[in-house]
Amino acid sequence: MFVSRQMATIDFALDNLVWLILLVVLVVFSITIPNYFQIGIFANIVEQSTFVGTMAIGLSLIIIAGNIDLSVESTLALAAMVTGLLFATRGAGMGFAFTPEWLVIPISLAVALLVGAAVGATNAFFVVKLQMNAFIVTLASFIWVRGLVVAISGGRSAQSLPDSLRFLAIETVFYVPLIAWISIGGFIAFASILNRMPFGRHIRMIGGNKVATFRAGIKIDRLTTITFIMAGAIAGLAGWLLALRTSGATANLGTGMLFQAFAAVVIGGVSLQGGVGSLSGVYAGVLLLSSINTAINLMGMPAHFTQIIHGGLVLVAMLLDTLKTHIRARMI
Amino acid sequence: MFKLSRRILMAGIAMALAGTITAPAEAETKGKVYYLVPTLLDEFQTESVKALEKFMKDVGYETVTLNADNKTDVQQGQINDVINLKPKAIILAAVDFEALKPGIEKAMAAGIPVIEFDRQITSTKSAFTSVAGTVEIGYVAADEIQKLLKAKKGSVKGKILQVLGDPGDPYTLDIQKGFEAKMKAFPDVTIISKPAMQWEASNAGTIVNDQILANPDIDLIFVHAAHLSVAAVAALEGKGKKPGEVMLVSSNGAPVGLDLIRKGWQNVEVEQPLYAQAAAVAMFADKIINKQEIKAGKVKVLGLESEVTIEAWGPNIKIPGAAISKANVDEPKFWGNLKAPTEPVKAVE
Repeated sequence: MFVSRQMATIDFALDNLVWLILLVVLVVFSITIPNYFQIGIFANIVEQSTFVGTMAIGLSLIIIAGNIDLSVESTLALAAMVTGLLFATRGAGMGFAFTPEWLVIPISLAVALLVGAAVGATNAFFVVKLQMNAFIVTLASFIWVRGLVVAISGGRSAQSLPDSLRFLAIETVFYVPLIAWISIGGFIAFASILNRMPFGRHIRMIGGNKVATFRAGIKIDRLTTITFIMAGAIAGLAGWLLALRTSGATANLGTGMLFQAFAAVVIGGVSLQGGVGSLSGVYAGVLLLSSINTAINLMGMPAHFTQIIHGGLVLVAMLLDTLKTHIRARMI
Repeated sequence: MFKLSRRILMAGIAMALAGTITAPAEAETKGKVYYLVPTLLDEFQTESVKALEKFMKDVGYETVTLNADNKTDVQQGQINDVINLKPKAIILAAVDFEALKPGIEKAMAAGIPVIEFDRQITSTKSAFTSVAGTVEIGYVAADEIQKLLKAKKGSVKGKILQVLGDPGDPYTLDIQKGFEAKMKAFPDVTIISKPAMQWEASNAGTIVNDQILANPDIDLIFVHAAHLSVAAVAALEGKGKKPGEVMLVSSNGAPVGLDLIRKGWQNVEVEQPLYAQAAAVAMFADKIINKQEIKAGKVKVLGLESEVTIEAWGPNIKIPGAAISKANVDEPKFWGNLKAPTEPVKAVE
């Protein structure tokens, strides 16, 4: 009885190791970096985690289901640009408005989600129907979708979203802007889906053992298609949130976020082999990366160190993952 | 099936005929010039493509543009490929000022004149250089910022947050060099410099978000591109700041920067005279391509008093950058107003 409780404790600690690391990092930074320990900075960390974090939700679903999606960053940029082009009033923006004004929120959100879902559906078609390699298909999408962003904007930026949209990026609840709460809500919703609903269990099964899942009568193709469409739509949501924060879009918006999202997913304990991982860990991974970015912003350290530290963290995460697997094997 | 094939065949013939019809028009041009643009992800570059194509057409040349996506190796490959096509000239806005040197030397040795556009390369000889001067943009920004600080605080003192572009881009480093060199004379000014990786707007927003909390006494933010200032403003807005509360200066003269001036968020935009830079290339194109001598002296380019000098790296035209404020923001000469001159440029005699 005592042994099993001890094992459960170790298991819990291993599962939530990244939260512990985050806590230690925050304490160390708060003690050593001037101006770090203040509510505004912690709110900034949460706010800055919004976009990479939201994108990482969809990426995690895809990876847990045993696939990969390199197109999420460009999908985010496309959704942001379409939002900017349709609803921004300056630059390349066409400034579509509605009466009552608040209608712009559901309409722009629906457009961004649809744009993302369309890219996801295209990926799914090639991967599921034509049985093409997901890495290559989504790499191609990563390139053509970014090209589409430049093409539809003509390289111009679209700026000044209406106040009826911008308030979501400005108004705060407990110091944290509403857009960050939307992202947190997304994490909670999809964590529940992943842990408590048949869909979540099934995609874990597919990622863990595709053949066995197929033999169990689960419709692998249908579920894989859904995960790609979901990942695209979630990237669309991330793009919408980013457009709200920057009050529009530029053609290079979101550049570099793909690798941050991958880093967060890996640091968060999602196995690139598929079948294993939790969204709680991924969110902790995103917060950890943001905490480090903020620390570097506040210290006099050159920005190149951000990339070096991120790379190092990914390696440490992989080492910890190996260590966790080893400890678990010994416990059994 | 047969009908469809016949339709495709007819369409093909029609297209071929159309090609034949347009061929004489092509033959009327003096030849092809390649413009190697560093990226199409910012408005200055996109507009430079339009401006160069228009002005070069005015003087009889067809311009083909190749985009390097901000990748040095891609641009190196492009210059090598273009040399084999034997164009009349190559217009180069280099991604990396030094890395393109071998390509420039190879083209010049092959008899293809290389014209440096917007980004000056001083380490090797080019046929012509048309620039506003990135270091000089830093100087102009420093002069304007000194005035703003003096007006606000009585003397040139205070705290400045400088948001650079990507730290690997010599363009932003040159602006920083010019700016900091001029600000050195004012020991009461503290400058905090942070780079926005990959020139990405949300990175600039993040920097402003953090710094405004860590250094609430920041008087002025100087960002190295207008598209970054939009994110800076969004961050200020998010922190409850009102227009003008924190002064803002930006560079390159993009439309978004001009909009921010109109809305009261931004004080000054240091313009790169894009249209004049492009027009100067076209005005000297015949001389460059025919390898005629270019003499030093003053010349007016689209009404701007500019100076041609003969430097170690070849003939160089420097066109003054302008400071745009609320007083002159609507003047059509600024490229950010996107009113490209319609008058055709004429080649210099």
